Amino acid sequence: MRVGRRVVLRGLGATLALPFLESLGAGKVHAQAAPSPTQYAFFFRQASGVACAQNTGEIGEEPERFWPRSKGALDAANVQGRALDELTAYLDRLLVVGNVRYGDFNWGDGHAAGALAALTAARPVVEGAGGDSEADGESIDHRIGRELNPPGRDSLFLYASSANGWLGGPCISYRSPGQKRAPLHNPQDTFGAVMGAIGDPADAGAAFTAARRKSVNDVLRGQLQSILGHPRLGEGDKRRLDLHLSTIRDVEVQLVCQRDENIERELDGVDQIYQSNAGPDIWRTARLHMDIAALAIACGYTRSAALQIGVGNDGTSRYEDPDTGQLMENFHYISHRRLSHGSDGGVIAGSDLMHHKVDRQFAQAFRHMLDRLAAYAMPDGMTLLDHGVSVWYNDNGNGPGHSRSNVPWILAGSAGGFLQQGQYIDIPGSAGNHARLLNTIGSAAGVRKAGGGYLDDFGDAGLRNDGYTGLCSELLA
Amino acid sequence: MRRVRQLGQCVLGAPNARVVLLMCGLLACSGQIEEVDGAGGGRRDTRGMLSGGSRGGSGVTGNDGPGSVGDGANSGSGPGAGPRVDLPMDPDELAQVPLSDVAASVSPSPETRLPRLTHVQWQNSVRDLLFLASDATLPVLRPDPVSAGFDFTNSGATLEVDAFLHDGYQQAAEDLAGRVTADPTLLEKILPAGSRDATTGPETFIRGFGLRAHRRPLADEELEAYLALYAEGARHYPSLSAFEAGVRVLLEAFLQSPYFLYRWEPSEAVSGDLIPLGDYEVASRLSFTLWDSMPDDALFAAAEAGELVLPEGVAEQVQRMLDDPRAQPVVESFHAQLMNSSKYDLIAPSTSVFPDVPADLGQSARQELASFVRDVAFTKERGYRELLTSTETFVNADLARLYGVSGTFGDAFVKVQLDPSERKGLLTQVGFLAAHATSADADPIKRGVFVAERIACLHISSPNDASPPPQPMPGSTNRQLIESHTEMPGSACAGCHAPLINPFGFPFENYDATGAFRTTDNGFTVDASASPLIDDTATPVENALELIDALAQSPQVHACYARHWLEFMHGRHVTDVDEPLATRIGFESQSAAELSIKELVETVASSRAFLNRSTEEAP
Repeated sequence: MRVGRRVVLRGLGATLALPFLESLGAGKVHAQAAPSPTQYAFFFRQASGVACAQNTGEIGEEPERFWPRSKGALDAANVQGRALDELTAYLDRLLVVGNVRYGDFNWGDGHAAGALAALTAARPVVEGAGGDSEADGESIDHRIGRELNPPGRDSLFLYASSANGWLGGPCISYRSPGQKRAPLHNPQDTFGAVMGAIGDPADAGAAFTAARRKSVNDVLRGQLQSILGHPRLGEGDKRRLDLHLSTIRDVEVQLVCQRDENIERELDGVDQIYQSNAGPDIWRTARLHMDIAALAIACGYTRSAALQIGVGNDGTSRYEDPDTGQLMENFHYISHRRLSHGSDGGVIAGSDLMHHKVDRQFAQAFRHMLDRLAAYAMPDGMTLLDHGVSVWYNDNGNGPGHSRSNVPWILAGSAGGFLQQGQYIDIPGSAGNHARLLNTIGSAAGVRKAGGGYLDDFGDAGLRNDGYTGLCSELLA
Repeated sequence: MRRVRQLGQCVLGAPNARVVLLMCGLLACSGQIEEVDGAGGGRRDTRGMLSGGSRGGSGVTGNDGPGSVGDGANSGSGPGAGPRVDLPMDPDELAQVPLSDVAASVSPSPETRLPRLTHVQWQNSVRDLLFLASDATLPVLRPDPVSAGFDFTNSGATLEVDAFLHDGYQQAAEDLAGRVTADPTLLEKILPAGSRDATTGPETFIRGFGLRAHRRPLADEELEAYLALYAEGARHYPSLSAFEAGVRVLLEAFLQSPYFLYRWEPSEAVSGDLIPLGDYEVASRLSFTLWDSMPDDALFAAAEAGELVLPEGVAEQVQRMLDDPRAQPVVESFHAQLMNSSKYDLIAPSTSVFPDVPADLGQSARQELASFVRDVAFTKERGYRELLTSTETFVNADLARLYGVSGTFGDAFVKVQLDPSERKGLLTQVGFLAAHATSADADPIKRGVFVAERIACLHISSPNDASPPPQPMPGSTNRQLIESHTEMPGSACAGCHAPLINPFGFPFENYDATGAFRTTDNGFTVDASASPLIDDTATPVENALELIDALAQSPQVHACYARHWLEFMHGRHVTDVDEPLATRIGFESQSAAELSIKELVETVASSRAFLNRSTEEAP
């Protein structure tokens, strides 16, 4: 990344000096195109399905409130009255993917089958264990960061809502099979992580700090190497030490990313509310994470970020009813249409409409991220939004049934012309076809196999055996 | 993550102590123990590598580097080995073997060599290492991920240092180093005598402080590396004196050192069928297990004197440590995690159904549990039986009202006697009951699953993904609704719900969604009778109180409790090799003599499995 050429951030009310971000340029991506150094992926996760057309035992016939009316080109009429109309300003940059189906593995729990599999396309480590298992594979957000970020720099895994709960709370991102990642929960920590890793070569203090840390790091590296040399060390211990060793990195002073006063101002007091399960607090936390994630992508800190809202089933978050200003029942109850995390409990009258209101709030939050990314103007005339792909996805297809079929995946941004835009397209196939979608997103973000080819084998080997390799060609530009 | 054993569609295998013991017997008794007997598995009576005298100095052994520092006493089989016996396979026969003999005979299971400190352990260790006040504010580290299943937070093999935690450690180290060196009082506290000597001071400081930071004497090459770093201090902090600058940058390194952040166990010399731990390794195991912190001066002195490779030396320290107030939060933490009390914070009964319920009911319930555990374990010095059956608890005004206790109460928690016809122990406390309820009603399924799995160690398969919702049944009780939904003969649900889940949950139908006692539900008399599977036998009970009595009399339930303690104290899942000790503790805990919680912990901490390593490494 070159230093000295600047792009300017618009829209945050301040001028932010950024490094020049290379661009792909306009036009279609040709097969096996070399990745751009600024391609990226952002994942925004919603749990417990959407309010779509269905017949539920609790409510009866529920109308379609989410999906566009017809496949093909997206326009305002196509999405009017649907949750997606919150994204009307970005319809020409959306790719609404239909018929996404998760693998038919024996998770023993509808939420685990979505939350733990959506970004991994993996089976459970222990079959049928329900909430007691983990995903048996790395998640795509981590894979992108592992391959494209500077060495030792994890992709951002961000989280909003209360800390503990179903599936352990934060649960969508996996470093390796069975190894769940810890999220950054407090946006202040996210900001500190991003800004703390970046030094300005013009700042004498930063260079001073870098020199001191290097002296300390040299000692730490020697100690970790000494432990790694122990003849009886087990494989698990080696893996953890290797990870630790990879994090001992010296301050990089080749990047320039000035602090943003607006974000810093918004961060004030967020440490008091970031673990709250109340909707307004959740969205404030989420939007701050998004602001920082956009900044981190723009600054070249990371090529991948994932933001999870709510615990495994989002069963603690209580979103606000915009019509009354009151907090509704927790979202999982609403998705069940009942006062229960199970299948008992009384029916919640109007819960299908409540679900729709929650969907709209997720759409509004996603739009916030798109606004932020679109605010970064690139030298090629595009915006940062167009250089990558931002994904709003769900763990489940619908409410009470928590289906694994037709799960919403809403993509925004063409990744530099890699993906189609302004379309609602079904991908072919049955259970497990979403492994191809993850290949497509990973490739759009710039992941390439050793020989330079697109990522085509992500996810569980069983899915590959079922033929789910390669990319979703119908989604490519 | 817990890997559950699944035999058949619904239960029945692993947690059944009798079955497990048989499996274990095949592994442990016919193979390993026979070999150890032949190898003279008696207590260690030599000092191994350190007996030649290097312990008097730095304790560093030869040229083996840091990996062998101070841990040399590696011959023999260490404390806890005692007089080993051949453990019988039959549980009834095992019950006749003295508990101390079982503890002295069980083998260690493979474990990580470097469990990372939990954040609580890190905080406590930082305060102890730097002599900070117990209420000193420390930087907050990013939370660790939470297992999808039930794991204690100290599961060592899963705790890792990723980039963001490293950044947190780094920031914390720099902040703390700055704080200490800027405060003359704090600085003097951490300086060993002679640290300011112009010539030998740096080495004196590094050796003295380093022993406490690494929790063992430093190796020569470690000393040299730290001396070199000290010399760079003046360059990095030119505004400070050379000494303070050197100390500051050293503190930054010590606080980020893997030897501080992990509990490193380098011993590798095999003796018989195990690897004995050295003195300093034992000191750290004891301190982090019993106190959640680094060893204190007495433990370091015992390690220095070679006392921790002797059974009596370990026993003396364990008793001292359990009598120390620092043990109490650890025992509370164990039970808080066992009862999943973090879930209490999510208790939110419907205000339309329960308009008088306090908003902070969950927080009160957590406080009640902590006070209750502390009282049973440390004031009464009783055991699991008392935890299950005590009719005493601690209440504030809100809880007193909910329990129907008369008197005047405020915010403070005070000990009270509950109505013995309504309440008995942990499982009739508000926390468990309200955390396993919907916002409007009791949830016998969740209550039943918790008791079956967590209390009785029975395995239950997960439900089908697409379990249909129950149809409303106006004019019925909650129990009738659940029965009609889950116990339909021939249905997929009935296989687990009818014999296993519901019988552990229905006895609690006398308690509503807030945990309040009730005799009617929806206008009908509550039916709390059931026949839960206890000790492999369907056991008829009329209500929760009878269920609790049956649980309290069950050796398998007590063995389940012991299994949790073994997991907690070893920081790993239990294995078949652990089962004889769990089973034997279960008998002792259930017996009229009632092994106390302190005695249980002492037994595990003094056991052969705790004080040695397996010759097999954790995968």
